[in-house]
Amino acid sequence: MKEVPISKRSIVIIFLLVAVLAGGVFTLQRLIPTSTSGLVTPSPNDQMASAAATKAVEAFFTVDYQVGMDSWLNRLCDLTTDSGCQFISIGASPMWDRYLEEKTIVMAEASALQKVADKQSEQVWQVNVSLSAALPGSNKLLDTTYVVVSKTDTGWLFDRFLLQPEINALLVKQGKASQYGRNF
Amino acid sequence: MRKVILVCCIIVLLIPVSVQAQDESPWSEVFDETGAVRPDVNDLGVTTDNPDWMSIDLPFGQSLDLEANYHTYHTANGSTVVMPSATTLFFMAMNPTESGLSDSLGMMSNGNGSMISFLGSVAGSNIDWNAVSSDHPEYSNPDQFWNAVLTGQQDVWTYFSGWNFITLLTSVSWDDAALRTALLLYQADDPNCAVLPNGCPVQVVVTPEPVETSPRCPDPKVTVQPLTANIQKTGPANPLVIGQDPDKKRGADISVSVSVPPVIFTWYEPIYKEKEDCGYNANGVYVCKIKRVFKECRKHVENLPDPVASLQATASLDSASRAWITGQLGQTHYGAYIHKPTLSLVPGLAGWNGGCSGGGSCSASAHINRAPFADPGTFNLSLQGMTSGTSFMGARISDPRPIQATSSFQVYVTLPALIP
Repeated sequence: MKEVPISKRSIVIIFLLVAVLAGGVFTLQRLIPTSTSGLVTPSPNDQMASAAATKAVEAFFTVDYQVGMDSWLNRLCDLTTDSGCQFISIGASPMWDRYLEEKTIVMAEASALQKVADKQSEQVWQVNVSLSAALPGSNKLLDTTYVVVSKTDTGWLFDRFLLQPEINALLVKQGKASQYGRNF
Repeated sequence: MRKVILVCCIIVLLIPVSVQAQDESPWSEVFDETGAVRPDVNDLGVTTDNPDWMSIDLPFGQSLDLEANYHTYHTANGSTVVMPSATTLFFMAMNPTESGLSDSLGMMSNGNGSMISFLGSVAGSNIDWNAVSSDHPEYSNPDQFWNAVLTGQQDVWTYFSGWNFITLLTSVSWDDAALRTALLLYQADDPNCAVLPNGCPVQVVVTPEPVETSPRCPDPKVTVQPLTANIQKTGPANPLVIGQDPDKKRGADISVSVSVPPVIFTWYEPIYKEKEDCGYNANGVYVCKIKRVFKECRKHVENLPDPVASLQATASLDSASRAWITGQLGQTHYGAYIHKPTLSLVPGLAGWNGGCSGGGSCSASAHINRAPFADPGTFNLSLQGMTSGTSFMGARISDPRPIQATSSFQVYVTLPALIP
């Protein structure tokens, strides 16, 4: 057996190195945003909720003036909560007046970008939308929206589009969350 | 009915109103000293509007312009009392200045009290109160928070912890207690009348004028699709007269089926839009005339069921077969005779079942098993019936239609022969 002499100074240096290393790892974990969050497989619940959001958004922005507002509403309301259907119904007429005037025919495709809020029976999803042609009053073919989906007895259904003040508030919350590591 | 609702409001808030009446409150032009609605208050019914502050911005420059609904009353002094729907009131509370809420004389006698009750009722459970008390320790209770929201001093959106309660407001009825206390009074001399829910209060309201443009909707159209009916022998392949088949009294099986597609009724509903035309008349009185203007023809397509009302099916031996039995067969087989040349299959030997699907298609069927055919030859099968016809909202759309189908099949006999 061969003895390896280690001085007290070396032991102190080794301890200091270990402490600095641990501290560095801890600090990096706190500073660097969780870059793997986007790689996590969404839960079945989230998959159903995001599918509800994208299907309804596609139905909302898919417009054929020839089929009329009632058919559009019927198709859309199959994908929404009862109150969400009612909410859209009381506000869709002016929008459809423009579609009829402009003889609008547009196909929409939507994809869920991220879940921005989750309250068990309600979620808010950021959804990207692309159109086959521009809608009246706009020349955009790509845009983003935030939608509320609700868990019902028959599964996840679209409830409504988020209002602009709600979007602003959510974005502020998200900023705070990433700053302080809070979860919304 | 509308006055009944208003009277309910008075009962709910009878005491404070009486106190206000003694102080000559502006509400005294709505209620008398006993708290009852004054007889000169005019119920104008429900009016609608599409204000900017109820417009929801959507992607691609689109917007969902929610309809604001107000139950409106008009006082003799020209002031307007409005009772907004729950959705309208919520958006008014979220936009107190733009909606004219802050220009109203408040809810009955207790200032913002009723509005705070309303907000607490519909949105209180969707507020993150922990975050509110953490960020704003100056609010010692929720009422102080709501009051700050209503006066435009506090942003509420940051503290909402739920979302679908906003759409659920659409199901709150006019009779809801939270709404019944939310009456807003706008006096005739309000300088900011342009921001009021129904525009400036009017001195004279003219009842809706006749339709400005007569409707130009197409005539209704009825499309009757042909029905199909079928009657046929389904077994056995070569039926023998009963008694001769190996399986005694096998007879033959007959099947009947009817299929009636829906009658398509296309009709057009004229849709009108109310257009308000306001201005000062020769006497200097601000007058609003409401015209009903034709807007569009809304197309409706109804798939009307035309159910089967009656069915009869019979089988009858044809005349050639009858002649063969009594003639040719009678010569070789002495005593041959016709046993039963006609059979009532439906309803004689079996009943029929029918019904209609949700899409308006109707059907009927019957199955006659082991029908006892006792004579050889050709049997003619005949199906006769009627449908019920169609109607829509009490009006006859199409008449009953006849159902007819025929076919034939052979019944065989084995004849013994002596071979020398």
